[in-house]
Amino acid sequence: MFSYYLKLGLLSIRRNPLLSALMIAAIAIGIGACMTIITVNYVMSSNPIPTKSEQLFHVQLDSWDPNQPEDDGNFEPPDQMTYIDAMALMKAQKAYRQVASNKSSLVLEPQGDDERPFSVTSRNTWADFFPMFDLRFVHGGGWDDASDRNLERVVVLSKEINERVFGGENSIGRRVRLSGMDYQVVGVLDEFHPVPKFFDVTNGAFSDPEEIYIPFNVAVEYELPRNGNTNCWKPVDGDGIEAFLNSECAWIQFWAELRDNSEKQEYMAFINAYAEQQKELGRFPRPLNNRLNDVMEWMEDQEVVEDDARVMLGLSILFLFVCLINTIGLLLAKFLGKSGDISLRRALGASRSSLFIQHMIESGLVGLAGGVLGLGLAWLGLRGIEMLFGDFVENMVSMDWVMVLTAIGLAIVSALLAGLYPTWRACSIAPAGQLKLQ
Amino acid sequence: MEIGPIWRAMMRNKTGAILIALQIAVTMAIMVNAISIMQEKDRMMSRPSGLDEHNLFSIASVGFAKDFNERVTIEEDLAALRAMPGIVNAIQSNAVPLSGSGWSMGLQTEPGAEIDGTGVGLYFVDEHGLDTYGVNLLAGENFSASDVAWRERAATEWPDKTIITRAMAEAMFPDDWASALGKTVYIADTQPITITGIVEKMQGSWPGWDGFERVMLVPTHTLFGATVYLIRTEPGMRDSVMPQVEELLADRNKDRIVRSMRSMDEIRERSYRSESSMIKILTFTIVLLIAITSLGIVGLASFSVNRRTRQIGTRRALGASKLVILRYFMTENFIISLGGVLLGAALTVGLNILMIETFSLTRITWYLVPVAMLLLLAVGQIAVFGPARRASSVPPAVATRTV
Amino acid sequence: MLSMQNISMVYRADLVETHALREFSLEVKEGEFVSVTGPSGSGKTTFLNIAGLLEQFTDGRYELDGRDVSALTDSECSAVRNEKIGFVFQSFNLIPDLNLFDNVDVPLRYRGFNSAERKRRIEKVLETVGLASRMKHLPSQLSGGQQQRVAIARALAGEPRFLLADEPTGNLDSQMALSVMELISEINRSGTTIIMVTHDPVLAEMASRNVHILDGRVSNGDQETTAEPLLSQVATA
Ligand SMILES: Nc1ncnc2c1ncn2[C@@H]1O[C@H](COP(=O)(O)OP(=O)(O)O)[C@@H](O)[C@H]1O
Ligand SMILES: [Mg+2]
Repeated sequence: MFSYYLKLGLLSIRRNPLLSALMIAAIAIGIGACMTIITVNYVMSSNPIPTKSEQLFHVQLDSWDPNQPEDDGNFEPPDQMTYIDAMALMKAQKAYRQVASNKSSLVLEPQGDDERPFSVTSRNTWADFFPMFDLRFVHGGGWDDASDRNLERVVVLSKEINERVFGGENSIGRRVRLSGMDYQVVGVLDEFHPVPKFFDVTNGAFSDPEEIYIPFNVAVEYELPRNGNTNCWKPVDGDGIEAFLNSECAWIQFWAELRDNSEKQEYMAFINAYAEQQKELGRFPRPLNNRLNDVMEWMEDQEVVEDDARVMLGLSILFLFVCLINTIGLLLAKFLGKSGDISLRRALGASRSSLFIQHMIESGLVGLAGGVLGLGLAWLGLRGIEMLFGDFVENMVSMDWVMVLTAIGLAIVSALLAGLYPTWRACSIAPAGQLKLQ
Repeated sequence: MEIGPIWRAMMRNKTGAILIALQIAVTMAIMVNAISIMQEKDRMMSRPSGLDEHNLFSIASVGFAKDFNERVTIEEDLAALRAMPGIVNAIQSNAVPLSGSGWSMGLQTEPGAEIDGTGVGLYFVDEHGLDTYGVNLLAGENFSASDVAWRERAATEWPDKTIITRAMAEAMFPDDWASALGKTVYIADTQPITITGIVEKMQGSWPGWDGFERVMLVPTHTLFGATVYLIRTEPGMRDSVMPQVEELLADRNKDRIVRSMRSMDEIRERSYRSESSMIKILTFTIVLLIAITSLGIVGLASFSVNRRTRQIGTRRALGASKLVILRYFMTENFIISLGGVLLGAALTVGLNILMIETFSLTRITWYLVPVAMLLLLAVGQIAVFGPARRASSVPPAVATRTV
Repeated sequence: MLSMQNISMVYRADLVETHALREFSLEVKEGEFVSVTGPSGSGKTTFLNIAGLLEQFTDGRYELDGRDVSALTDSECSAVRNEKIGFVFQSFNLIPDLNLFDNVDVPLRYRGFNSAERKRRIEKVLETVGLASRMKHLPSQLSGGQQQRVAIARALAGEPRFLLADEPTGNLDSQMALSVMELISEINRSGTTIIMVTHDPVLAEMASRNVHILDGRVSNGDQETTAEPLLSQVATA
């Protein structure tokens, strides 16, 4: 029976090609617009590290200005950490894993004489960074704690940089010259493009990950330039790097891996105790206000999904709604247009329910066609967004199979919803009504 | 006009009419709110920067060699740039206005850590700063060469002079901005700095910041390892000068790299990319929406004309001229659209209130509502014209021919 | 008042030419009641359409009230139909979405009467056809005979000099047909010229004259009938 209805549906779609085309186009455009925006929102709000997002915590210590207005008791402690605090927390090793990191811009001098030096972005971090954030290697691996302690000049290269500098060879043990100093390659990463770039949203939630990784201590020791955001509530006391490191300037992102709730509780107690202890030393002049946010909480807190994207999402849903009203109108026109056919079928013994199924299947077919076409339009829409926004959205405009299924599902559900009322009207056409002369 | 019977006939087939009206209403709500968002973005983008934008470009220089002598490099670079034909002036600075990166500080009228400062964007320049930016000095005087100090990355001492924008002066001295001239204010909580000049307008680095137009210039060359040159060319010379400058700087010194050469126009474009893209997307959305709504009207009107062919023939036989039939369908659409836009006005305001609450957007300007109503009424009339024309050409003989 | 000379009507559809009327000539005088009979497809409706300015003819000359019709524009034709001609159709052609009042109102609107005048006329003609009490009803709520009476009322409301009816009783049973015929005869007695197409010879005899059409031509010998005795004969039948 289903295949018979399917055949009837296809026949009916073909009988009114213009009306059918209009309906399919309306659904396709609605789905296309909606899915384009939904995809962008979906990617923006996606979980960049689903396997452990609930065990990774961004650490915020409120070391801030006592004169800062209280904002109805909702003062948000600084996103980043001071050097003093980051070092103290690193040293304490109270979490299962912890890393402090920041970013730099360095100049890489390739070996060959004819090759020009170029600038690379570097993440200055700790040995735990690699296992903690699940980075995978093509060659070698991360460095170890000893390298951090001993200020070893080691470097982990991204796949792209290894490609550019070493032609993709296994470069473990080779030397790379960075801003006038040699570093030894210990690892080459596999692809690593977390979206959002959760471990440093302060410097751009959707910017590309850094191209090389070096020990944080090395970067501090050799005074490598800091390239991220630096916020100070208090002037630096004296000239020189020492004074800066001891200042109340926050410029370090600090993350801790805490495997379960009790570890989290303990760590919270630890940082609060640390803050109390700092208060005794005259720092942390504000009331106790430290935070641990896991990855998704932190993305939420930082409003990684931009308002514009959410506004567009709202508008695109309304847009789909308009397309659906359109489709309802056209389906109604179509179904009532063949009321002669319907009453004939009723007179020949078709039951209301079989007519219902027949018309819902026809609506579903329209939805399916609209969904497939809409998927194509969404793809075009995403290319359009990519063209408009450029590299900024590079990581946001790809659809995965979840989105593909969502698009088709949304189209079919929309079409079925749109078909409900027209179908009901079609089913209530009297069996003989249309046969007698008006 | 036969509005009464049209209305009564319509009420016998409400659904189609309601669907079109609803569609028009939601279309209008989306359209007006989208236009309002576009206007807001446009207002943001069209604020003048105060700079001679079309003739400015910047290029970054990053030293990397161990024995890189930054001070000498900067002095020689500037001398070479300023001597280049086609270049009006050039400065070395820490950042470029509108670029999204830069320094901000707080200035306060009284010294002390407990006092709130006024946030301000800060640029290190020398005595060529004003001329290079092309900003207009309203009061006071420019820096002189002897004012300009050299500053290491981790230094904390500030020079004793600054030139600020009028917006900054107004923020610090709301009663009389002009009185800011000659005043001593405090930077880094306690260090005194005297305002020696006020420029009319200059935008800072972050377009989204409410202190965007609060800017201070400090007479200092920076030795931060990485630096930018901002270069102002003769009108129309920028594009030919840019590659020459890139070559000149790259060749002059092998201990550094030059990168990120961008015209001010490009910097502005990059900085406002999301705003301008949003405007384009919204424009596209509106066009698409109106197209869909019109197609819907065409579809339903055609259907209704087909359904009423016999009735139209009868009316013709009873003496209706073609024009009367045309008018019938146009009037019918007008009534439906009018209902739609009236409902639309309410929906528009509702949606706007919702958006103000959730996204702190601005209120729509009142005239958008009537303009959109008129526009959609016109769209409806245009869309229905085709089907109405077809209706009017139904021959009167249909009345006797069709059974 | 109606004069057709050598009218021909050719329908061209693709390659097929249908001669619906050939060299058709007819005179109808003021106040006459002419019935038109003939087999199906002989051209009766075509003749009526041309007479009522619903269709343009291919060749010949047609004067209505002494005026050459072929010179009229489309909208002039509409105006003539509206003022001088009333139509009654086989399938009534009431507008299903409008109630009786609004249905009768349709031609009056086109005429441009003010609303008081329209109301007066509508009430009067609905009174005449005996349906004044059902003014607010929709056509679907009436029987076939009642619907045709409304259609007649609609045709009369503008006080036309000419009433054209195409098988007005074709969709009615004989009882209803009779009552509608009485109404039409009465209209004729009050001075309106009537041309009525029918295939029922009994009804045709109620007219003052019968025109028989065969193959698009008036067949020989218009039959003059005396209206009075026949009418009473039918009425008693
Ligand atoms: N619109 C038309 N196109 C082609 N042929 C037509 C058309 N209308 C009528 N005819 C033909 O003209 C002839 C006369 O038709 P008609 O006047 O309706 O006959 P009657 O009313 O006497 O039954 C028929 O052969 C019919 O098929
Ligand atoms: Mg006929």
